[in-house]
Amino acid sequence: MKKTAAKKVDLTTKIKNLTFKNPVTVASGTFGTTTEMESFIDYDKLGAVIAKTVTLYARPGNPMPRICETASGMINAIGLQNKGLDEFLENKMPKIRKQKTPWVISIAAETTEEFSVMAKKLDAVKKDFAMLEVNLSCPNVEKGGASFVKKQETIIDIIKAIRDQTDMVMMAKLSPELGDVIEIAGNALRHGADGLSLINTLRGMVVDVYKRRSRIARDSGGLSGPAIKPVALRYVYDCKKAFNCPIIASGGIRDWKDAVEFLIVGADLLAVGTSNFVTPNATMQIITGIESFCREQGIQKLDDLRGTFQSAQSLGCK
Amino acid sequence: MSVKAYDEAVIILENKKINEKYLKLSFRSKKLVQGVKPGHFLMMQIGDKNDPFLRRPFSYYRASSDRIEVLYEILGYGTSLLSKKKKGETVQVMGPLGNPFSVKIARKKRVLVAGGVGVPPLVFFAEKNRSDYLLIGTKSKQEVMPKKELAKVKAKVLFSTDDGSYGTKGRVTLLLEDVIEKEGAENIFIQTCGPMPMMNAVMALAKKYEIPGEASLDKTMGCGVGVCLGCMVKTHEGWVPSCTEGPVFSFDDIVEAGV
Ligand SMILES: Cc1cc2nc3c(=O)[nH]c(=O)nc-3n(C[C@H](O)[C@H](O)[C@H](O)COP(=O)(O)OP(=O)(O)OC[C@H]3O[C@@H](n4cnc5c(N)ncnc54)[C@H](O)[C@@H]3O)c2cc1C
Ligand SMILES: Cc1cc2nc3c(=O)[nH]c(=O)nc-3n(C[C@H](O)[C@H](O)[C@H](O)COP(=O)(O)O)c2cc1C
Repeated sequence: MKKTAAKKVDLTTKIKNLTFKNPVTVASGTFGTTTEMESFIDYDKLGAVIAKTVTLYARPGNPMPRICETASGMINAIGLQNKGLDEFLENKMPKIRKQKTPWVISIAAETTEEFSVMAKKLDAVKKDFAMLEVNLSCPNVEKGGASFVKKQETIIDIIKAIRDQTDMVMMAKLSPELGDVIEIAGNALRHGADGLSLINTLRGMVVDVYKRRSRIARDSGGLSGPAIKPVALRYVYDCKKAFNCPIIASGGIRDWKDAVEFLIVGADLLAVGTSNFVTPNATMQIITGIESFCREQGIQKLDDLRGTFQSAQSLGCK
Repeated sequence: MSVKAYDEAVIILENKKINEKYLKLSFRSKKLVQGVKPGHFLMMQIGDKNDPFLRRPFSYYRASSDRIEVLYEILGYGTSLLSKKKKGETVQVMGPLGNPFSVKIARKKRVLVAGGVGVPPLVFFAEKNRSDYLLIGTKSKQEVMPKKELAKVKAKVLFSTDDGSYGTKGRVTLLLEDVIEKEGAENIFIQTCGPMPMMNAVMALAKKYEIPGEASLDKTMGCGVGVCLGCMVKTHEGWVPSCTEGPVFSFDDIVEAGV
């Protein structure tokens, strides 16, 4: 008898005209910009890399303290510290261009005009990126207490402005902090976004009882990590059901089981975020974990698992 | 400058109290000692899964060919859980991280100023490199490092205690002022590690007497590898992560050490 070699599971993931060798990626802001984590992981093994958000102009970031641990997670108020798009294109691109793994650029801005300018600059180098992620939801950069993207019309304007400048595959990154996610997602998709990235952090705070002050200099910040996973899962599920569009999921993915939960509710890419801080090679473990699970379950290709959630309603439960 | 870091599950060889203040944790690893110099740190995952969620930074206290020691103080939830770990249990450790203290200095006399959680890396330094003074500040006699732990230190060790129960009564900066007076400010180079208020006081003195030096800053860290941008220090180059650009900074580079 020939021994049956363990068959390779087909982890290929398709979004629009793009093919990723597996669905595992890293969430923006949790893995650096180029290859900062190369001591711990093999970049070639990742499905994709989503770089830290860049803005048109350099941002110094927020005052300290910027992070605080919470139950099963953390709060951050980094404030999108980065050196600006031009510096990124000049100094970071040479390294990124050498990578075999697809790179996703993430952008944020303070005005629609800035988004437009960035999109135009990026269109000129679009071959270097697989996708453009539009970060509409960072809770840490608000002016006067309200993010300028918190209005529906603004989101529509931003998406349109970017679409006018580039045909890059565009993913709109949202957070429930913006308002009704389904409504916003629908608007973004109707006006030019190709898919969604769900979810960015949820705003939270931690009080130091002795100082009666927040442990974060800006009073509140974005909650991430396993603590927010159930919320993220539900938004991915709801949006997949409502729009059947490509979705990058992030929110507390810590191990392969978390990843498989997101796959079952329909996520296309799985972005590991905060867990990278605790387990720098978490992505590598997740890729092998998904593969073993599929093999064990007799699943030959990931698309046979993706979106197979059995709703209680569809099962006829009351 | 930076050495390659590894992430490894290690088995605890010992984890015991050495005095009223510190516990010593030892484990074996060939990878985690490679290239280690005093001032390097490691990130230890204390919980098995999500509790506590983030790793905790600790300095290397001693590193031989395959054995590592960490000296720690129980300050909160993570370190208190760590103190309950038994010989034979496993912890996940990543290191060596950060940049060590400079061995070459431009002045004649090296003065090490340590307090609290900053004592371990400077004792390590003073065992490896001849230094002129090691000044240690503590609250009281019970917290003074046992003689055995300081046996290999190649420096004159002076103590200060807040309550005067051992050594000079008062803050460690009193000792530093004496040394400055004795040796002359122009001959001294300071290397310091300890609680931020202590280091801020040391740096204020250094500034007053125009003494160069280095401080290993104690910032709460998220990742330890420069990607979360949580442990930032304000330098003349802007906000930089302490874990990868420090934790050892030249006094000149620091604009605001923080609290
Ligand atoms: C580069 C570096 C090297 C270090 N080396 C050592 C070492 O060799 N030995 C050692 O005992 N400790 C060391 N520390 C400090 C150690 O990391 C903290 O004591 C530890 O993270 C506290 O964790 P916890 O869960 O017990 O406390 P938490 O529950 O997180 O906090 C409890 C209390 O401790 C305070 N605290 C939290 N983090 C720190 C911190 N980084 N420094 C001081 N106070 C803190 C909090 O404000 C709070 O009051 C080092 C820190 C850094 C940044
Ligand atoms: C320290 C930190 C920095 C982050 N920076 C960014 C960022 O620059 N842009 C962005 O779109 N999201 C950012 N995020 C959000 C993550 O990309 C991710 O969407 C979110 O944390 C949820 O996933 P997680 O629970 O796996 O971390 C950041 C999160 C953290 C914890």
